[in-house]
Amino acid sequence: MEEILLEQPEQPINADKKKGGTASVGKIALRVFTYVILVLGAAILVFPYLWMLLTSFKDDYEAMSLTLVLFPTDVWHVENYKKIWTIVPLMRGVLNTLTVEVSVIVIGTFVSTLAAFSFAKLKLRAKTFWLLFLMSGMMVPYAALMMPQFRAFYALKMFDTLWPLILPGFFGNISMMFFLIQYMKGISNSFFEAAKLDGAGYMTMFLTIMFPMVKTAIAAQVIFWFIGIWNDYFAPAIYLKSDESMTLQPMMARINSNNSGGTNLPLIMAGAVLSSIPMMVIYITCQKFFIESLAISGVKG
Amino acid sequence: MTEEILQSDGAFAVEETPAAPTPVSKKRKSKLDRQENIVAFLFILLPIIGFCVFTIGAMAFSFIYSFQDYNMLTGESSPAGLKNYTDLFTHIIYSKNFLQSIGNTLILLISTPLSMMLGLGLAGLLRLGNIKGAKIFQVLYYLPAVSSAVAMNIVWRYIFNNEFGIINQILGVKINWLSDETLIKIAIIFKNSLNGMGGAMIMYLAGMLNIPKDYYEAADIDGAGKFRQFISITFPLITPMTFYLLITGIIGGLQSYADADVFAAGNQGAQTIVYFIWNRGINQSRYGLASAASVLLAIVIMAITLVQFKLSNKWVYEE
Repeated sequence: MEEILLEQPEQPINADKKKGGTASVGKIALRVFTYVILVLGAAILVFPYLWMLLTSFKDDYEAMSLTLVLFPTDVWHVENYKKIWTIVPLMRGVLNTLTVEVSVIVIGTFVSTLAAFSFAKLKLRAKTFWLLFLMSGMMVPYAALMMPQFRAFYALKMFDTLWPLILPGFFGNISMMFFLIQYMKGISNSFFEAAKLDGAGYMTMFLTIMFPMVKTAIAAQVIFWFIGIWNDYFAPAIYLKSDESMTLQPMMARINSNNSGGTNLPLIMAGAVLSSIPMMVIYITCQKFFIESLAISGVKG
Repeated sequence: MTEEILQSDGAFAVEETPAAPTPVSKKRKSKLDRQENIVAFLFILLPIIGFCVFTIGAMAFSFIYSFQDYNMLTGESSPAGLKNYTDLFTHIIYSKNFLQSIGNTLILLISTPLSMMLGLGLAGLLRLGNIKGAKIFQVLYYLPAVSSAVAMNIVWRYIFNNEFGIINQILGVKINWLSDETLIKIAIIFKNSLNGMGGAMIMYLAGMLNIPKDYYEAADIDGAGKFRQFISITFPLITPMTFYLLITGIIGGLQSYADADVFAAGNQGAQTIVYFIWNRGINQSRYGLASAASVLLAIVIMAITLVQFKLSNKWVYEE
C-alpha cells in the first residue's frame, strides 16, 4: 500500500510567506473561527451522550419534568445502575451477545483468513472468478435475504435461539477476507517458497508463517467486526423473542418501547450507558485504527 | 482496491527457483500444482458454501416467494404470478403503504448530501485553520458511527419528546416531532446529518491532505484566490471521496431500518422500505408481498453498485 497522508504537513497551505513567519491578523481570525465552529459542532455531537449520562442519574420526575432540569437536583441516583440489572435481564443480554461474538469471531476469522491466504498466495484455478463470485454477495441487501432465511431457521426450530446469528458467521466475513487479501499480497513470496522447499504443508505455512505476520491486520478487522456484532439490531430483533435468548440491542429497544410513556427513563438511560461503555472504551483506545482505515477507504476507493 | 486484487495474480511457484528443467521434475511439478490447486480450493470452500446457502440460495427463494401467495392458515404456498408485484403498486391498502415507504426512504436520503456538505466544510476549516488538536475533533466527530443505533435512537427520541424533550424546552414550544408525519422526517434528517458528518469530514480531510502542495503554490503565483482554488483544485481532486460517500450513503440509506423502528416507533411518516418488508413479511407473514418488495430493492441496490463499479474508474479523478 502506498503512503497516505493523515496528518497536517508542517507547512500549512496558507502559510504566511511574507515576513519571517509572523502570523497575520487574518490567519489568527481564521484559527479562532475554526476553533469556535469545531467546538460548537463537538458540543452538539456530544450532547446526546452527555444527556444520556445525566438522565441516568435522575429520578422519573426529573427526567419527565416539564421545565428544564439539566442536572439531578438533590441527589444523583446512582442506584439506577444497580436497579437496571434487576428490571431487565441485562446480564443475560451481555452473555448472549458475547456468545455470538466469540463463536462467530473465532471461527469466522479463521475461515476468512485462511481463504484470504489461499487467494493471496496459492495457485488456484479460476481465482478471479471465485473472487468476483464472492464479491458479488456484498451488493445484495440483507432485506432481500431475510425472509427465506427466517423461514428456514424457523423450520429448523432455531427461532428464538442464537443460531441464526451464529451460523452464517461460521462461513467467514467477505469484507474481512478482501481486506486481508490486499494485506497479504504485500508479504514476500520468498517465505513461502522456502517453506515449500522444506516440505511444509499449506496449513503449516498458513499457521506458522502467514498468520503471525498478519496478526495486526486481523486484530483491526476483528475490532470492527466485534463492534458490528455488538451493535447489531436488525437480525437479532427478527429472531429473538424471549428474555433468555435476547442480545443487548433488542433488549434495549424492547424496554424502551415497553415504557414509551416515559416511565423508567433514567433506568433505560442507565442501560444505554452501560451497553455503550465497552464500545466507547474500544473506540477510544483504538481510535487510530478507526480514523486511518476510514481515511484510507476514501482515498483508495 | 478490488481491481488491484483481481489483476495481479498473487500465486507464487517453485518454478522460479533455479532447478534443472528435466522431464521428471516437470511432471512432479504439475502434480504439485494440482495438489496446491486442490488445497487452495479447500481453503476457500467454506466462504463459497456460505455464500451459496445464505446469499444465492436465499436470494433465489426470495425471488420464488415473490411469485407465490402464502396462505397463513394452511401454511401453504400457491402460484400467484405477478400479483404480488402489482399489489405493491395498485392494491388499495398495500400500495399506499409501499409507495409512502419509498417516498419516506428517498426523503430521508437527504441527510447523506447534508452530512457530506457539513463534513466538507469542517474538513476545509481544519485544513485552512491548521489548528492543534485536529485529531481530538476527528475522534469526537466520528463517535456516532461506532455507537449503537439503538442506544442513540433512544436518547434522540427522548431529546425530541413532545412534552419533556429538551429541544422543545429550549425553544419554548410544543412541537410534535415524533408523532407528526412530516416533522419526524425533519428530526431524522437532522440527527443523521449530524451523525454522518464526522465520517465525511475525516475522508475529505484525508483527501485534501493528499493534494500536492505545488498545485496551490502555482495557483498562488497565478493570483487565484482561495475560493477559486477550492473550486478548481480542491473540489475536483476530492471527487473520489464525494463519490464514495454518496454511494455508500445511498446504499446504507436505502436499507435504513432502526430509525423507523426505534426512533419513530412505527410512525407512518418514517416507515422505510426495509421497515415495510419487515412489517409485511416477518411481522404479518405476507411473505409473497414482502419478497416482491425485497426483490425490487435488491435490483435497485445492485444496479447502483454496478454503476459505481463501472463509473468509479471513469468519472472520478485518479492519479
